[in-house]
Amino acid sequence: MGLTLHHFLILSAILFSIGLVGALTRRHIIIMLICLEIMLNSANLNLIAFWHFSPNPLPLHGPLFTLFAIAIAATEAALGLALVLAIFRHYKTIDPESIQDLKE
Amino acid sequence: MNIAFYLLALVAVLGAGLAITLRNVVHAVFSVLLFFSALAGLFLLMLAEFIAAVQVLVYIGSVGILMLFAIMLTTNVMGDPNRPVRSRGWVWGGLAVIALLAGVLLPLISRTGGQTPTPLSDFNPSVKQLGMVLMDPYFASVGVIALLLTAGLIGAVVAATGASEADQKKTVPANRPNYPNT
Repeated sequence: MGLTLHHFLILSAILFSIGLVGALTRRHIIIMLICLEIMLNSANLNLIAFWHFSPNPLPLHGPLFTLFAIAIAATEAALGLALVLAIFRHYKTIDPESIQDLKE
Repeated sequence: MNIAFYLLALVAVLGAGLAITLRNVVHAVFSVLLFFSALAGLFLLMLAEFIAAVQVLVYIGSVGILMLFAIMLTTNVMGDPNRPVRSRGWVWGGLAVIALLAGVLLPLISRTGGQTPTPLSDFNPSVKQLGMVLMDPYFASVGVIALLLTAGLIGAVVAATGASEADQKKTVPANRPNYPNT
């Protein structure tokens, strides 16, 4: 039995759920950003799987979309971690449940 | 191919699962690097070799190092043993995600079944073709991505340094060490 599209879609759904669980339940901002990266990566896996099992894969749209998604995800990671540094400098904590004030 | 897929899938699920359960944040970052590398292997398995290389360069290379730097610059690495790892009411979040997975995602995936096309046997996408496609119909997207990366770079620098200068103006006269002889 060879690999089908289902294998990759189910794996991607499981990885996305793991990332979503982490983003909803962990109590650390950096871990929440890591979980965002996990979710974005499982979406990339979906894109590549749809491209690879498509009837006409030669226009290479799947890898291009993934390339753009990776570029946007890298920007998001850099900006998110810079914001984490700013939040830590301002609130002196990284626990998202103790960051409650909108104004100092 | 099957064995490679199951092995890589196991490593990916293990890496992601460890990343969201470990208390030590540095260990979590290293396990998410394991997840990234397993995903690069899966991309290679699906003949997207350039995306696999980009995954290694961007995620394992720079995003992982960026996360390690962010951890080193913020809190203590080991984690406070008195602080809970999970947020309040985390059971509800977990249950909601399990309901989403079992109620929405997996039924939708199973509905796509039956007519999954087989991959072409003579399919040899090359990096050269990728570059040609990137230059011909997607040139405007490349420009937009370049603009986004520049804006993100400037925004990250401003967000990471702007507040510190404002803080220093307030705090430096108060706690500057007093060295009379130098």
